[in-house]
Amino acid sequence: MKLLKPSWVNHNGKPIFSVDIHPDGTKFATGGQGEDSGKVVIWNMAPVLREDDEKNENIPKLLCQMDNHLACVNCVRWSNNGLYLASGGDDKLVMVWKRAAFIGPSTVFGSSSKLANVEQWRCVTILRNHTGDVMDVAWSPHDVWLASCSVDNTIVIWNARKFPEIVMALKGHTGLVKGLTWDPVGKYIASQADDHSLKVWRTMDWQLETNITKPFSECGGTTHVLRLSWSPDGQYLVSAHAMNNSGPTAQIIERDGWKTNMDFVGHRKAVTVVKFNPKIFKKKQKNGSTPKPSCPYCCCAVGSKDRSLSVWLTSLKRPLVVIHDLFDKSIMDITWTLNGLGLLVCSMDGTVAFLDFSQDELGDPLNEEEKNAIHQNIYGKSLAITMESQLSTTIIENPEMLKYQQERQGNQNPNGAQGSGLENQTPKLTNVLNGESLEDIRKNLLKKQVETRTADGRRRITPLCIAQLDTGDFSPALFNSVPILPGSSASTQLTPQISSDSSTANSLGLRPSHDPTTTSPNKTAEENKDSGTAAVNSIGMKSNLLLTSASKIEPMKALDSRFTERSKATPGVSSVPLTIGITPLDRVKDSSSVKEPKGKDETSSDSEDKTMAKSLSMTKRKGEMEGAEVVEKRKKGRPRKDAKMMMPMSQPFTQTPVSAEKEPSRLITPVVVLKLPTPSIQKSFSTQVSTDAITYLEVENEVSVVSGARLSQLKWSREGREWDTLLPSRIIVATGSSDVVAVACEDRTLSVFTTCGRRLIPSIMLPAPMSALHCSGHFVMALMASATLSVWDVQKQTALVKNESLNPILSGTDATVSRSFLTQQGVAVVSLSNGKTYCFNSSLETWNLIADKQDSLVQCADFRSCVSSQDALGSTGPLALTQGRNLSAGRLASRLSSTPHHLQQGITLAFLENQLSSALILLSASEYRHWLLIYARFLVNEGHEQRLRELCQDLLGPVHKSSSSSWEPTVLGLRKRDLLMEVLPVIGQNLRFQRLFTEYQDQLELVRLK
Amino acid sequence: MAKVQVLNVAVLDNPSPFGNPFQFEITFECMEDLPEDLEWKIIYVGSAESEEYDQVLDSVLVGPVPAGRHMFVFQADAPNTGLIPESDAVGVTVVLITCTYRGQEFIRIGYYVNNEYTDPELRENPPVKPDYTQLQRNILASNPRVTRFHINWEATMDKMEDSENVDPAPNTMLPPTSMPGKAPPLGLMPDNSMDCL
Repeated sequence: MKLLKPSWVNHNGKPIFSVDIHPDGTKFATGGQGEDSGKVVIWNMAPVLREDDEKNENIPKLLCQMDNHLACVNCVRWSNNGLYLASGGDDKLVMVWKRAAFIGPSTVFGSSSKLANVEQWRCVTILRNHTGDVMDVAWSPHDVWLASCSVDNTIVIWNARKFPEIVMALKGHTGLVKGLTWDPVGKYIASQADDHSLKVWRTMDWQLETNITKPFSECGGTTHVLRLSWSPDGQYLVSAHAMNNSGPTAQIIERDGWKTNMDFVGHRKAVTVVKFNPKIFKKKQKNGSTPKPSCPYCCCAVGSKDRSLSVWLTSLKRPLVVIHDLFDKSIMDITWTLNGLGLLVCSMDGTVAFLDFSQDELGDPLNEEEKNAIHQNIYGKSLAITMESQLSTTIIENPEMLKYQQERQGNQNPNGAQGSGLENQTPKLTNVLNGESLEDIRKNLLKKQVETRTADGRRRITPLCIAQLDTGDFSPALFNSVPILPGSSASTQLTPQISSDSSTANSLGLRPSHDPTTTSPNKTAEENKDSGTAAVNSIGMKSNLLLTSASKIEPMKALDSRFTERSKATPGVSSVPLTIGITPLDRVKDSSSVKEPKGKDETSSDSEDKTMAKSLSMTKRKGEMEGAEVVEKRKKGRPRKDAKMMMPMSQPFTQTPVSAEKEPSRLITPVVVLKLPTPSIQKSFSTQVSTDAITYLEVENEVSVVSGARLSQLKWSREGREWDTLLPSRIIVATGSSDVVAVACEDRTLSVFTTCGRRLIPSIMLPAPMSALHCSGHFVMALMASATLSVWDVQKQTALVKNESLNPILSGTDATVSRSFLTQQGVAVVSLSNGKTYCFNSSLETWNLIADKQDSLVQCADFRSCVSSQDALGSTGPLALTQGRNLSAGRLASRLSSTPHHLQQGITLAFLENQLSSALILLSASEYRHWLLIYARFLVNEGHEQRLRELCQDLLGPVHKSSSSSWEPTVLGLRKRDLLMEVLPVIGQNLRFQRLFTEYQDQLELVRLK
Repeated sequence: MAKVQVLNVAVLDNPSPFGNPFQFEITFECMEDLPEDLEWKIIYVGSAESEEYDQVLDSVLVGPVPAGRHMFVFQADAPNTGLIPESDAVGVTVVLITCTYRGQEFIRIGYYVNNEYTDPELRENPPVKPDYTQLQRNILASNPRVTRFHINWEATMDKMEDSENVDPAPNTMLPPTSMPGKAPPLGLMPDNSMDCL
């Protein structure tokens, strides 16, 4: 046996809590405390194994370090296939890491190259559920599950093929759970906790198999970890800290009857960690001696708080070796190499030790076949056999089905990170996002990116999401890449130079400034040749630049500090008074004076509170704002006791829901029940009513006074075209759509014009003053102060909703209308301050609840696994608008550890069906399709055959025509059979439904032929 | 650990005439959904001598930022030449891109910028009053200087304990001062001093 303490494996003196050797034996991970966070480090194994490699400076020792954990890392574990690393820490998180598909090393952006990570490991999933420090994590055999245990007394089983899905939370421990181990056959998982118990759980139903307490009843004190271990043959489970005759032991528990008759004795303090060698051994056959059949045996390493390590063979009564004083502090973790001959131990003192055994010492390891044979003998079937057989016995009966199955397998490959994990992908240069290559996106990014103005006039850019975090790797080609330069010849010439240069960190020009004394002219010239002329754009400029920069040494030193110091300018207010865009407010002034010559000073007579003033500053530049809000001064002539504030209208629902969504309405006013506030009258205001063709409406009240008569002017402009019209009464609200313009006046009239300014209908006399007015398409919606709603189709000149009272939704609550809008299809939607949103269905003549922020169904539903990559970005439409794009669905789901799967399933099902019917009632076809596909995917994943069949039946309709059929061939303008065409491939992904698939595939074919 | 990592900044339209807008294509990754927007700024250092001549060319909010990898192009107008000391117009200066979250700066990316006349004649005999129309701006894109700062990413202050392990070893290059009233009183240490060269 050889013993080595590689001093270079350290966390800068901080404790190392966990160590694990990669299954391929080329690297190992440590976890522990970092500088101010938890730290996971991946090290190269070669320098540990071979002295030559340790001395060779070209062989990296540290491969990657990750400081993503917010607090100390207690456990690191490689998956059995070696693709993933799981880490758990005091920050209550489990992180799953995967190696990014980079070829070769790469640097952190902007960092100097020498400290670069040689390998790139990225966090692909963060598993959140534990409410306390995560103490141990363990991958099940074949990486089907990942288990984590925590000081919150629970064990969580995660679906390792579908992170972050929780299979089960095992509850029963009444103390901190500090260790986990899987049965190598996959039938059980065992846990040890501070509650003086060791529990064995069945993986079949996740129920408790046995609870062992006797050997632990005397256990006192606290041990940081209790890492127990199961023998590779599955016959023995060895616990950490147990007591026998008031001496610390490691208890051996026999699988057969969970008997506790044996233990490893000898450590002077509590056993913190037990780790079985992954190999089963048999006696080394000596040359010449007769091969006598001997019982295979296992090997186990035991580490203790007494700082010593013992290694045992189950065939011997005494330990093979005991090493005392290996560390200054308690041993925290042990890991074996997969060949069974090497052993790494880590300690609280921040060091690790490596033990190297020979086969003479341990014996001949059995190969995998022999090991499987043992499993077969003892358990009938090994896990490997059962797993594969379940999948392979199903015969694919339908060629189409085979196609989808193959497609599915093909699809899994590019997203290797989320699936069960295949081999590392080679980076693909042409990444495609919604059918567009990344290069295309980059070329047009500036033009395409959505930019808006916030309420206080700031620019706001919606970044383009180029990769979901969980979908793993994205093209590394993008990063550290050269910019796509606009086609100027000079810049294209420069491109290769930059790229060749980017590897050399020190390019010319800067060198003199960093290190002026050592740079000889020769050397610089050489570097010029070598590194290219990145900083120089044209020929003959090199020397010049060098001169310039040399002469600029002093200022550049001064400049250097600017890279690192936060400047005073950063907080947003510059000390220079005239800089461009110093503060939002200044920007407002700028833009309003420049871009809005008509903008009058509306703030003058305002005596409202600060929020009012703020809102007004906003109105000044609302001309350039999408989805502008109209805020008006309070009407002085009509004081209302209850109305302490004005009720500004929320923005109209314009064509692009995206833009409307950007400005959440922030205005809620308390009102008397069933009395909606009315906007106050403003001298003048303007509003933008359309976004794709920028359309402004400007209103100026009391504009021309002809012998005492006052008129109000309405001005409309779109891309140079404009018209105006005059109205006899002061205008309260003006709004428009792509088709019509509607104006409500103080005299309770409503006027509707075409976009050419022609009056469509004579003034409509309203029963009450206008509270909110919206236009969409050729629909006009009016919400009156009497809490009644009307919607007209001005093209057909019909009323869709006639003076419908808001009583049903408002009564019994003290909620007020916080927002209202009209969809493109003319459905009126009203959001209340209590978070509920209703729409009025004119055929049912009912108010329908379509969104409820407090709805626990929404929060508990978990359908994320059913969202395909195409629709991962979410749907857009009225439903998404009311519910919020980033639907908080599922946020709570992962925290509901107590929720059994079937309940979760039910919740999700109910939620999805709600969504579907809401989209239907909102007449939002794209959203209906979006949710229908998610719903179908969910049914397929969860195996709800009845519902799936009903869905298919409805989409297919009767195959043979019959007069009695009331089946509608379309829904919301979508042909149902087209939808079925989309649903079928989803069904085809689950072999279980191949009969159903075939059935509907055939019928659909039949119908199409007719 | 910062929730937002800047993965790459590509300098677009470079080199370019002095009056052209700055364009940076920024790629960043976010570990989890951010409830608030990120605020990005481009600061042009008018003179090495004094911060007084710093110009915030523009600031922009970026959001919403769900977990994932994102990119956007940050374009800002060229600096106001009237605010640049004439003696500093030609030569090397710095442009900074900063990003703040909840008012706390967590990353600062600096580039050297070389402003030069393209005309050899002018280069030999530069006019006393700088002729900005003839100046070319060249950002040394290959050598970004990145400084990361620790900030409090949570809205609440319950993460106080995270800062207890901050090594208080003073770094001579980095005397970051907390911004009065804006930044929380903790953890303004550089994340990664190795990045500051």
